[in-house]
Amino acid sequence: MAELTYREAVADGIAQEMERDETVVFLGEDIAKAGGVFKATVGLYDKFGPDRVRDTPISEQAILGAAMGAAMTGLRPVAEIMFSDFLAVCWDIVANQIAKSRYMTDGQVSMPLVIRTANGGGARFGAQHSQSVENWSMMIPGLKVVAPSTPADVKGLLAAAIRDPDPVMFFEQKSLYPSKGDVPEGEHIEEIGVAKVVREGSDVTIVALAAMVPRALEAADRLYSEAGISAGVVDLRSLVPLDTKTIFEQVEKTSRLVTVEENPRLCGWGAEISSIVAEERFWDLDMPIIRITTPHIPLPSADELEDLALPSVERIFKTVRQGVD
Amino acid sequence: MDVLMPQLGETVAEGTLSIWHKKVGEKVEANELLFEISTDKVEMEVPAPAGGVMKEILVKEGETVEVGAILAILDEGTDGSVGTTEPKPAPSLENNSQHLTHSPPAVSATAVTPNQDPKRRLSPVVRKLVAEHNLNPDNIGGSGRDGRITKSDVLALLQQKLSASTDQAFVSSTGSPSVDGKKVIAFNRIRRVTAEHMVRSKSTSPHVHQGVEVDFSRVDRVRSDKGVAWKAREGFSLNYLPFVARAVCDAIVEFPLVNAHVEENSLVVYDQVNLAIAVDLNFEGLVAPVIQNASSMTAVEIARSIAVLAARARANQLTPDDHLGATYTISNNGSFGTLFTTPIINQPQVAILSTDSITKRPVVVEHDGEDYLVIRPVGIMTQAFDHRAIDGAYSAAFLRKVKEIIETKNWEAALP
Repeated sequence: MAELTYREAVADGIAQEMERDETVVFLGEDIAKAGGVFKATVGLYDKFGPDRVRDTPISEQAILGAAMGAAMTGLRPVAEIMFSDFLAVCWDIVANQIAKSRYMTDGQVSMPLVIRTANGGGARFGAQHSQSVENWSMMIPGLKVVAPSTPADVKGLLAAAIRDPDPVMFFEQKSLYPSKGDVPEGEHIEEIGVAKVVREGSDVTIVALAAMVPRALEAADRLYSEAGISAGVVDLRSLVPLDTKTIFEQVEKTSRLVTVEENPRLCGWGAEISSIVAEERFWDLDMPIIRITTPHIPLPSADELEDLALPSVERIFKTVRQGVD
Repeated sequence: MDVLMPQLGETVAEGTLSIWHKKVGEKVEANELLFEISTDKVEMEVPAPAGGVMKEILVKEGETVEVGAILAILDEGTDGSVGTTEPKPAPSLENNSQHLTHSPPAVSATAVTPNQDPKRRLSPVVRKLVAEHNLNPDNIGGSGRDGRITKSDVLALLQQKLSASTDQAFVSSTGSPSVDGKKVIAFNRIRRVTAEHMVRSKSTSPHVHQGVEVDFSRVDRVRSDKGVAWKAREGFSLNYLPFVARAVCDAIVEFPLVNAHVEENSLVVYDQVNLAIAVDLNFEGLVAPVIQNASSMTAVEIARSIAVLAARARANQLTPDDHLGATYTISNNGSFGTLFTTPIINQPQVAILSTDSITKRPVVVEHDGEDYLVIRPVGIMTQAFDHRAIDGAYSAAFLRKVKEIIETKNWEAALP
C-alpha cells in the first residue's frame, strides 16, 4: 500500500493505463506542461511526451470533438473538462454524439473514451464553477457515470473507465483532491457498477457519493456514539450502472434509507434511487425515504452560505437522528 | 422465597423461560421439576429450590430475562421440611387466594399499552409483517415516535412467540396429525440454531474434504482383548472413538494449525485441544459438547469423558459451558454403517473429522517383498478443512499422521 492524495491517484491511474496501452492519449486545457489547474496530472507530460499528453485551446467542444474522433478511429482518449460546469458548453457532443454513436451505428462504432472533470462545491468557486452535475450525465442513456470518494477508487475506477469500451463520465470531486488514502501498489483496477458498503449498520442505510461519503461516515460515527443509532454507509461509486443489488440488500436489512447528495434538490440522483427503492422495496420500508441535498439554488460563493447549502456532517447527523427516532 | 433465573453458564447473561410445570396455587415438592429454561444453546430443566406452594408467577412462558431475575414466588409455609429463619406472615392458603385475584405485574405491563389510537399508521414493512404473521397491531407495543410500531417491535414480538411455541413443537412434532396428506413440523430451537449455523459455516468457509482409509487392526485387538472387562468395569462399551480422538490429539502436536479458529484475517492457533464431539439426540437434533483439554487426557480418560458428555446431552442436561472453547470437532457416524460423510465445519474452527463405519475388508499387504491378501478392519476417515486457513497438503499430512498413529501406536499399553 502507498499513501496517495486523491489528486496524485488521478495521475497515477492515467499513467498506469498509458504505460499498459499505447493507444491511451490524454488531452485538455493546461493538463500537460502545467500539470492541470488542480495539479492532478503532474508528471504525465514529462513521462509520455507531447504526442500522447496534449494541451488544447480553450474550447471544450474542440476537446471533446477531438476525443470523439480519436475514439472512433482506434485510440482510447482521456479528455479533461476542467470544471464540470463547462460540460454545458459541449453537451451536444456528450449527449447527442458520444452517448449515442454505438447505438445508432448498431455497434459498428464504439466510443472507448473517458471524460474526466472536476466536480462539486466546497471550494468557494461560485455558482458557475461549483456545481455537482453528475445527475446531468446520469439521465443520458449511453453514458456510464463514475464518481469516486477515495484515492484507491480514483485509480482503480479510472483504470476501469479507460479500459471500458464505452464512454465513461468520470467525476472527480475537487474538494477531495487534497484528501489522502492508501492505494494498492502495482496495477490496480476496480469494477464499475459495484457499490461499496463502507460501514455496516443495522438501523438505517445512508447512501452517498464522492465528497458526501466521508461526511456520511463522520455523521454515522456521531449517530452511533451520541444517539446509539447504527447507521450503515454505502458508497455508490457509480451512478450508471447503478448497484441496486447492494442498495436493496441494505434496505432489506435496515428498512430505512437516507440519500446524501450534492446535487440540487430537483432531479438529483437521490430522487432516482428513492424512486427505485419505493417501487421495488416498498414493503421493506419502516420510515419514509429521506433525501439530504443541496437546495434548489445556484450555489453561493460566500463561504458561510456555501457551507450552509451543501449537506454537512451536522445536517446529516440531525436529519438521520430525527428521521430514525 | 423467590425463585430466581439460575446462572446457565459463565458466559450466559439471560435465558428464556420455556415451560412452567406448576401453576399458581399448586403444591411443589423440593427438587421436583419446576420449570424449563433455554438459551440459544441448551434447554435445561430446573428443579424447585424448596418445597411449598406457588404463590405468584412473575415471568411468563416465552419471556427472556436476565440471570438472577425473580421468576416466581414460592410460599414455603406449607412445607415444614424446609428450614428458614424468615417469619411466615400469614397462612399460605389465604396468600394464594389473595394472589389469584391479582394480575401478575408482567401481564399488566403489557395489557396497559394503549394501541387503540386510530391515527396510528403502520409503515409498509410493519404492515407486511403483521399480515404475514397474522398479528393484531393493537397488541403490539410501539417504541417509535408517538408510540409508532417499528419493524423491530414486531420482530421482537415474533421472536418471543417463536421461543414460546417451539418448545411445544419440540414435544408434539412427531405426534401432530397429518392434514391433506402432509404435516408441518415447525423448526424447534435446536433445529433453528443448527440451520443457521450450517448455512453460515458453508457460506463462511470454503470446505475441502479429504478422506483416508485407516486399518484399525491394532485398535481392534485391544477392543477384543479388553472390551468385555472394560464394559463390566466402566458400564459402557469401548468403541473406536476414544482411540481416534487420542490419535487426533497426538497428530495435532505436529500439525497445530488444524487446532485453530479463523478470526477476522488471522488464524488463532491453540495450545491445548478442546475436542467437540458431535452427539445425535435420537434424531431430535445435534449437539457438539466439548471435552476440555482433551490433549492432556489418556485414551481412557477421553473415553469416559465422551460417555459422560453423551449421556448428559441425551438427558438434555448440557449447560452452555459444555459448548465453549472447542478447537476441533469429531463427528462419529459409523454406527449407521456409512462409508464416509462429508462434515460441515463447526465455526469458527478450521477442521472437522468424520469417522465412519469400520468393517472387515480384504486388504493387500506386503511382506518380505510378496503381496498377501488379508482381512483387516478398515474405515474411511474424512476431514473437512477451511481452505482459507490451511491448504490441502497440510491437511493431508495431518490425516496421514492420524492414520499412522492409529495403525502403529501401542494401544495395549494405553489401556489398563
